[in-house]
Amino acid sequence: MSATATTSGRLAVLAEYRWPEQPARELPVLPGYVLSSFSPLVAAAAEGCLAGRPADPAVLERTAVLLVTAGNDAVSADHVRDRVAAGRRLGPLLFFQIAPNSVVGQLTARWGLAGPVVALSPVGDPLADGLAEAELLLEDGDAEQVLLILVEQADSAVPDSIDRAHALLLTERPIS
Amino acid sequence: MAEVQPVGITGLGVLSALGRGSEPQLAAALSGTAAFGPVRRFDVSGRRVGLAATLDRVASLSDELADVVEQACQDAGLTASQRAETPLLLAVHGQPDAGAQAARLAERAGLAGACRIYIGACVSASSAVADAALLIRRGADRVLVAAGYLVESDQFALFDAGQALATDGVVRPFSAGRTGLLLGDAVAAVLLESEAAAAARGRRPATRLLGWGRAGDAYHPCQPAPDGGGLARAIEAALRRAGLAPESLGYVNANATGTQLSDAAEAAALRTALGAVAGRVPISSTKAVHGHGLEASGLLELVLTVLSLQAGKLPVNAGYLGPDPSCPLDVIVGSPRPVASPYALSLNSAFGGANTALLVQAA
Repeated sequence: MSATATTSGRLAVLAEYRWPEQPARELPVLPGYVLSSFSPLVAAAAEGCLAGRPADPAVLERTAVLLVTAGNDAVSADHVRDRVAAGRRLGPLLFFQIAPNSVVGQLTARWGLAGPVVALSPVGDPLADGLAEAELLLEDGDAEQVLLILVEQADSAVPDSIDRAHALLLTERPIS
Repeated sequence: MAEVQPVGITGLGVLSALGRGSEPQLAAALSGTAAFGPVRRFDVSGRRVGLAATLDRVASLSDELADVVEQACQDAGLTASQRAETPLLLAVHGQPDAGAQAARLAERAGLAGACRIYIGACVSASSAVADAALLIRRGADRVLVAAGYLVESDQFALFDAGQALATDGVVRPFSAGRTGLLLGDAVAAVLLESEAAAAARGRRPATRLLGWGRAGDAYHPCQPAPDGGGLARAIEAALRRAGLAPESLGYVNANATGTQLSDAAEAAALRTALGAVAGRVPISSTKAVHGHGLEASGLLELVLTVLSLQAGKLPVNAGYLGPDPSCPLDVIVGSPRPVASPYALSLNSAFGGANTALLVQAA
């Protein structure tokens, strides 16, 4: 689904990026994050959407980050569940990466994004849910841009399932 | 910034280790009676710390959420038809079946359906409250916000591994000698309603949500900015929406978890946002009695803030040993303070530098 097909006409898409890229490349390693592709996917999506754009610090400071994921970091969660069930200790890095907000803190520090931080699990179509929440955040006035990141890891139960991420930099469409 | 319409709080439902319903929450918060004890819900024999605030004989999270939602609907006196027009915003730990859980919860309560599910760690519930106010400002008559976390083995093990849990078994917000947080059960529901809709069915809200603010630190994946920059801007936004000066505030229900960095950053945020008022506005963190309810913490703490204002007494900051120079605040210790102003802030912060401020007024 394209972003423009789902907006109510009140949002303008300033930049958009999808993982996997074509041609395919390796997902960049994100230092400090282990075991799971979830956080590297989020970071790569933000990088792909924001890199090369003119950076106005005043606008970036009022840029919200909105993460939408149904599966959350299932790989890390499964690892934790298995180790806890087996009575084994956990590595401290897992504590820091298990919350979806954690990698958002990494990317907001990287890009200077100091608006609201919100993470949602979708109740319907993830993109539609994300765009609806982005509208609300912009309408609220604490942000003038929203970096919406949709991310889902490959589902091991689904053949040919792959990691996917989709990032959109959104703002309110000027009233004409 | 769009004009703010009055949003009332007309129904509450709550559960924590302090008990079921409003009365035990308020009683324990006012007296500073903490609910921490050995965890018996799951095996903690391999952990550094084995304490949390857990309620005995607790049902599943789904059932407990359904119970507090029912409490809130009954407290508000909603009819079946009014419930059927009320959307649900739910704050829970993110997991693949969250959508189905939210849909079942709405169906059990006869609500209009689940509108959003917030999974952003410790600002999940407070973000939901801010969005509920926005939806009412857009024209919704009422929105029900529910949030839940029951202490379980996986998060407990993670917090233990991260050395975040209080090694002395006591949560000591803003205090010298604080050693960390302890987890706690938190399940709550709040009905927010436009004052016009409440009046149309003969209700006058006892508390209003006057303002809210959200901002990020842009600093670190898990550490707060030392200057509390994001939280300061969230507080400033909440005051601006409410049209209030810092001098109006009569209470701050702090996020303070009892961790070194977070409490000091919150104190810095308060100094930035409130100026000299930060040193004289009464403040306490009720996490010292009910523990950290993670995704649900913001709603439990909002409920306690509302109950305190309605009771005319402010909760003590339990576990306090003495002042910490990095937290030069008017911490409520010893006994509850009388409410001197109807305006109170409830603050929350989370991993990723996410911060929220909710500003309420006793009507």
